[in-house]
Amino acid sequence: MNGASENKVPWICAKCQKELVEEKVKVRYLDGNFEVELLKCPQCNHVFISEDLALGKMLEVEKGLEDK
Amino acid sequence: MSNEYTFVETQSLCPICLKKLDAFIITEGENSYLSKNCTEHGTFSSVLWRGKMPMADWIQPKERAQIENPVTKVNLGCPYDCGLCEEHRQHTCTALIEVTQNCNLACRFCFADSSKSMEVEHSKEVEHSKEMEHSIEKEPSLEEIRFQYQSILRVSGICNIQLSGGEPTIRDDLPEIIKMGADMGFSFIQVNTNGIRMADDEDFVIALKEAGLYSIFLQFDGTSDEVYKTLRGKALFDKKVKAIEHCKKHDIAVVLVPTLVPFVNIDQIGEIIQFGIEHAPTVRGVHFQPVSYFGRMPKAPQDIDRITLPEIMDEISKQTQGLIQMESLKPPGCENSLCSFHGNYIIEEQGLKQVSKRSSCCCGTQKAEEGATKAKAYVARTWSNTSCNEENEAETSDWDKIIKNIKRNSFSISAMAFQDAWNVNLERIKDCCIHVVTKDGRLIPFCMYNITSAEGKSLYRF
Repeated sequence: MNGASENKVPWICAKCQKELVEEKVKVRYLDGNFEVELLKCPQCNHVFISEDLALGKMLEVEKGLEDK
Repeated sequence: MSNEYTFVETQSLCPICLKKLDAFIITEGENSYLSKNCTEHGTFSSVLWRGKMPMADWIQPKERAQIENPVTKVNLGCPYDCGLCEEHRQHTCTALIEVTQNCNLACRFCFADSSKSMEVEHSKEVEHSKEMEHSIEKEPSLEEIRFQYQSILRVSGICNIQLSGGEPTIRDDLPEIIKMGADMGFSFIQVNTNGIRMADDEDFVIALKEAGLYSIFLQFDGTSDEVYKTLRGKALFDKKVKAIEHCKKHDIAVVLVPTLVPFVNIDQIGEIIQFGIEHAPTVRGVHFQPVSYFGRMPKAPQDIDRITLPEIMDEISKQTQGLIQMESLKPPGCENSLCSFHGNYIIEEQGLKQVSKRSSCCCGTQKAEEGATKAKAYVARTWSNTSCNEENEAETSDWDKIIKNIKRNSFSISAMAFQDAWNVNLERIKDCCIHVVTKDGRLIPFCMYNITSAEGKSLYRF
């Protein structure tokens, strides 16, 4: 994946050179399944998770579901 | 399969003289038993595990933790040197302080044997009468309780606190005790209660909340008065409902804690869970405790007097019509595998979403220390109130919705099997993470603190 940090600049899939589109994607963590909107390549279906998301909201969800 | 026998060596105690004995866990088909022989008092056998899932498949090995600040030296060996000693293998996840030995009930089953002052109160139903004041045991002073908090800090650092008894709510200064702990840095303080005063005295509930109470462990044996009459000596269901109502109003989380007794309330497991779900998010979960036998016992408890963890899991699945599947219930990462199970769920309109799965347990040996750290965070998060900041949280994305959903709708089902003098396995004692602090500042594994011989003799409770 490559691209600029500004929202206006589209994200392009490095492998397919297609513009990523926002789409509902099923995510799974510790046997919990959730549907969330993520940037996804329309061709290879790889999703893009930004650093902000991984270390922010996504981490918060992980912690909320963390087992003992 | 039913003709196969396996033997595992361990150590236990004589239920008559509390002498340490070599013991065997004998597995015959689906059932496992603890067998031991005292040269003076004979042979004893007690069921440990009955169910379709073999005990060996449930066990998760752990790499022991090291106690950094042991209080006691190893002299006579486990279980005679508790304090914690340097041979103990797990940190404190929850520390218990018994703030009173007095109670406003006279239960058939009680860890603390707190019935001494009960006759007066039970007959008059007055909690603070002059008459009762003459019969009550002296309670620890605030300074003594401060010393107990300090002892926990010294040995185990910040951990979860449970204020227990007796019945802690009979102390008018319970809010001060909670505030004292909160001011010392204990961030999760829970009160273990029968709920009677929480039902009768809303001002007291408000005072507890203002002092920093997050959560109560509510004795909740069933959804009918018959169960309470049998186990607790009087009809209490309406009191439980009222206590939960007050907790809801004042934003205190509730964990329902049924003591499960064969022939009394095993058939209510499903109804208790349903009641819990209907009263979520105030009720955060159900924590079952299969009956164990403490105090003076004229004869040894029989195997039919016990229900084991796999049987409870089976009943949960059956009585919830599969809403909760056995596969969602897992062994613990903190205490010994044979001590408990738990499952995590999110309540949804169409039922429960299961977020835990036994087959997702990691393979191989886990670090006990990591298990303790995770368990502390899990308990504080799962059993706390949910509504703080809820109204102010802006939902801007799917992730926000999930976070809010987890906070508000998560629900836990768990059970912990305490050990008594008949079924005690000292390997489990060494792995214990629930410790009772004594007046002299020692931390005693919960079961060792409560175990009594058949004559009612205790090693640590005086």
